[in-house]
This record gives sequence, C-alpha cells and structure tokens, in this order.
Amino acid sequence: MSEAAAMIPDTPLFDRAGSIRGYRINKMAMALGQPANRAAFKADEEAYLDSFGLSAHEKSAVMARDWHEMVRLGGNLFFILKISAVDPTPITRIGAAQASMEHEDFLHLRLGKKRNG
Amino acid sequence: MAKIIGGLGTSHVPSIGAALDKGLRDTPDWKPFFDGYEVGKQWMRDAKPDIAVVVFNDHGNTFFLDRVPTFAVGVAETYNPVDEGWGPRAIPAFEGAVDFSWHFVDKLVERHFDPMVCREIEVDHGLQVPMELFFGRPEAWPVKVLPIWVNTIQYPIPTPQRCWEMGKVLREAIESWPGDERVVILGTGGLSHQLQGARAGFINQAADRAWLDGIASNPEPYRAMSREDYVEQFGSEGAELIMWLVMRAAMNSDVNLIHKHYHAPASMTGAGMVVLENAA
Repeated sequence: MSEAAAMIPDTPLFDRAGSIRGYRINKMAMALGQPANRAAFKADEEAYLDSFGLSAHEKSAVMARDWHEMVRLGGNLFFILKISAVDPTPITRIGAAQASMEHEDFLHLRLGKKRNG
Repeated sequence: MAKIIGGLGTSHVPSIGAALDKGLRDTPDWKPFFDGYEVGKQWMRDAKPDIAVVVFNDHGNTFFLDRVPTFAVGVAETYNPVDEGWGPRAIPAFEGAVDFSWHFVDKLVERHFDPMVCREIEVDHGLQVPMELFFGRPEAWPVKVLPIWVNTIQYPIPTPQRCWEMGKVLREAIESWPGDERVVILGTGGLSHQLQGARAGFINQAADRAWLDGIASNPEPYRAMSREDYVEQFGSEGAELIMWLVMRAAMNSDVNLIHKHYHAPASMTGAGMVVLENAA
C-alpha cells in the first residue's frame, strides 16, 4: 500500500513511517485538546514542547509554525490543527503554506474561490 | 424488525459546525452550502427516525496513535462532544441506542468482524456536524445514535470492500432486531479534499459530482476501487468517502436518489449530500 500510494505526487500518506516519525509532535499536539495544556503552551511554548521530548528541529518547526516542515517530520494535520486552534490560524493558510502558495492564490487556484475585489 | 427508512451520505467538515457557532450561516461563503441541505432537513423531519447510525472517522480527537482501532462501535449511554482545541461547543450530548448497539456488535463478531467496543467515549465533528446538518440545533437530539468509527487517518486504512461488507452486517442487524424502530444510516466524510503535502487544496469537482450520482445508481465501481484510487481521485483526506459504502451496502441494490446537493469549497473541501431511499 505505502509504496503504491507514495507514487501519487505531492501526497504524503500517514503510514507506518510517518506515524513513528511524528509520534512526539502528534502527542504534544493531541494534548492541546485539554484547556490546561493550552494554557501551558501559551504561557511557555518551549517548556511545553520540552515536556514532550521534542528534538531541537521539531521544536523550531513548531515554534516557527512551519506547517510544511511539521508534516514532513511526521506531524499529521488532524493533530497539529490543535496548534492552529491556539493561535488561531485558518486552515486555508496552512494549506497555502504546504502548497508553497500565497494565500489569495491558493484560495483562487486550488479551491476555486473568486478573487477579492 | 426495525426498518431502514433511508440512507444519507454527507460531508462532515468541521468548519460547518464552526460556521454555525459563529452565526455565519447566511454569509455569502456559507449560505449556498446550508441552503442546499434544507431539503435534507425537511426529509428528516418527515421521516421521523428513532435511531441514527452514524459512520464516521475520528480526527485525532478521541483516538490517539497509541491505539488505532480499524473499526470501533459505541455502546455508551451518552456521547459528549469532545473539545477539539477550540473549547467546548454548545450542542447537546448524544444519547446512545445502547441495546441496539450491542446487538450490532453481536452480529459483527458473529460475521467475523473484530470491532473495538466503546463504553465511554466522546465524539468529534465527524458525528456532530452530520447531526447538525440534518437535525439543526435542537435542545435535545430527536434520535438515539449508534456511532461507528472507521480509521481513515493512519495507514493501513480498511479497504472499500471491507466497508461494504460491514454495511451488509449492519443491514442484517437492523432486520434481525426485535424492536420496531425506524433507522436512518448516515455515511459521512468527503467529498474531495487534501489537507497535507504540496497537493494540499486539491478538489475534484467532476469526481465529486459523479460520486453523488454513482453512489446511488451504480456503486459497484466504488466498491471495487483501491484505496490508492480514492486518494488519487478524491485527495488524501477525500478517501474518507469509503465510509459512505457502509451506508450504501446496507441499502437495497436499487435505491431512489431523493435529494442531492453539492457545493465547493466548504473550507477546503468539496461538500455535499445525498438522501437515498430503498426502491419498492
């Protein structure tokens, strides 16, 4: 399955490798479903990330809100969306970042929305 | 025996619930989407079901990666909406169809399925949003629910054929249930969308429109499709559509397509619904 699926261009599937690679990031993000953890994240983000054992690289991806890199490191969007809920960041901006497009271009060219103005 | 009064397919995009929470229903972005569901809501008011079977996937809200059930079935008294990171939502808890749910679990295992059986568990937008789309925002939901979770997050996800087989067992469970409840089945997820990778934002309107007709008139090709085909045609998260097959397989092979609606994009997703009834 994963070999065949890997052939669909620009479409990472959350398979065994991704699940193992992204476990810490996803566990940290999952915990943001609890209000106390959201408060801890807001109060001292780095300390919160340290408490989940994230590597320096993982931490910098999260702290820079580098969505493309978080996914590359095995972050699954459904978990890391909880980071965007804290910020908050619209999901279309996360999509645009992964597609390496300007937000307005992304809305128009990928999602088919009319351009503003 | 209980009676299947209809099969619905619908999107469950979380932004739909958020739009309702924020009072955005009648904004230009959302009005065409919600207006198209009005016929579905009216159908539901007229149909007066007692039980809603909701087939959906959790989105990293209830199940973490420490344990990932391929299929899970709820047998709880009550299902509370889970906090997905934005805080609690002001919608009522869902009452479980406990006895019927256990009956379904019995049938599943008898037919060689191995579900996780959940006594105490919360539900995310995968169940909440379809209920809101068809029942609105009542003080209490007018039906009891049987939740069925399908893993569509971590590969390997189940095959379309396996979802189809589960639908056959669901039908057998409904028809062998001694009560006279009226049961509606909601297959949820999709339509085309991709949230991850450089192809993020992928929407395939042509494939979505073909799906809404084909799921009614000729579902066989969709049952035979591989998971890779689903990802390619509908996007990595659009593969959720396999969950509609549980609903479709529980219906007669001949169904009437009573209502359908399509709108794109809802947030980042091709979105829509069908209402199916068994043909006489």
